[in-house]
Amino acid sequence: MWKKEEVKSQAAAENAANSGASAAPGLSNPRDANFAVPVAPRATSGGAMISQGIRIKGEVTGSEDLYIDGHIEGKLNLTNSKLTIGPNGEVKADVFAREVIVLGRVDGKIVGRERIQLGSTGNVSGDLQTERLAIEDGAVLRGKIEIETGKPIQVHSEARGVAAGASGKISTPTLSSGTTAS
Amino acid sequence: MSFLNKLGLGVAPTREVSRPYGTNGGARTPAPTALAAVGATKTPQMGESTRLSNGLKEFLWNLDGLGRGTLLDLGPAWQTTLSFFIERGFRVSSEDILREWKEFLTEEETNLRQSGGELLETLDVTPAGRAKRFLESNLQYPASSFDAVLLWDLLDYFEPSLAKQVVASLTEVLRPGGIIFAMFHSKKPQGFQRYRVVDSTNLQVIASPVLCNVQRVYQNREIQDLFSRYRTVKAFIGRDQLRESLFIK
Repeated sequence: MWKKEEVKSQAAAENAANSGASAAPGLSNPRDANFAVPVAPRATSGGAMISQGIRIKGEVTGSEDLYIDGHIEGKLNLTNSKLTIGPNGEVKADVFAREVIVLGRVDGKIVGRERIQLGSTGNVSGDLQTERLAIEDGAVLRGKIEIETGKPIQVHSEARGVAAGASGKISTPTLSSGTTAS
Repeated sequence: MSFLNKLGLGVAPTREVSRPYGTNGGARTPAPTALAAVGATKTPQMGESTRLSNGLKEFLWNLDGLGRGTLLDLGPAWQTTLSFFIERGFRVSSEDILREWKEFLTEEETNLRQSGGELLETLDVTPAGRAKRFLESNLQYPASSFDAVLLWDLLDYFEPSLAKQVVASLTEVLRPGGIIFAMFHSKKPQGFQRYRVVDSTNLQVIASPVLCNVQRVYQNREIQDLFSRYRTVKAFIGRDQLRESLFIK
């Protein structure tokens, strides 16, 4: 079904250790100086990274922050972590995370339990569900926005519109199966 | 000249940037600080101005008391606009339909070029055919799913056949009693601009890179014909050659 090539899990983990997912900008105001969304991964401890050139088909789950600059197709579930989709990142998946920062392209529903932030290069085609939303000028959004304050957001179990097989389940940061490095 | 320009589609080059449009225009006032909304306070920047909007005021008056209404914003996803309505309890959907129209035209042009003219034999390249193809993948919402639509001045930039089909589609997705806020230029605008809601009576006008050229300047009679299925039409004429209109289904 998929090419079973060696997954660069070690490399990803090392990258994460060295560069990692960036710290969350704490404000929702796109014009605020502190809003500055990350354009490249920055060092934090414990984050993982899927860099440009890596393509994953399947389900990615985990409990650590994740920075994606590659291609993901399937489902992303980081319920208690922060997900950053970098400027080169392309995600065709429903996304569930505590906090989601989009600088690249997402085709699918995004559930950011605490916050969703669309950077100026962000392009989302799908519904947004979150408590707080920040949209920088230039961001492209095609979808419905649901602001859910203080209400638990359910994580859906079915991926939408992609053929993610059972063997494609991946957990960060080990990225152990179902990937195709290109 | 591009292939589609030869066909009369007139997609503007993206690097062309419009000048601030009528920044000293009569109805416009110095830009106040934008309303804080969903954590956002927007300070006007260069190339931005505000204009008093009686149309917006009336639009909001009509939506007053609706409770948790649904709104479709067909302009770009501006934080201030979305926040303004979300804070008032609306469930907002956003679709930058003019950007999508331009992307659609660009893609069609590429496909036609690559096919070496073969597609011309099978593809309906009439404006009506193009509009139909475009709407097969855009403005796809369940019938009667919105209470209000922000159409802005987009109809001026669509080919007339697309404008007609867009209005027909919006009529389908709008609930009975639903309202559309649209704007029409009284004469061909000097530049390209986008709009966002500052507060309940003011719009911010933002000079933007030209996405599409104006296709038509509508006369009152033509506007009435376009929205002939609507029971109420209200128009507000500004001193900046911009007519604001409300259409209630």
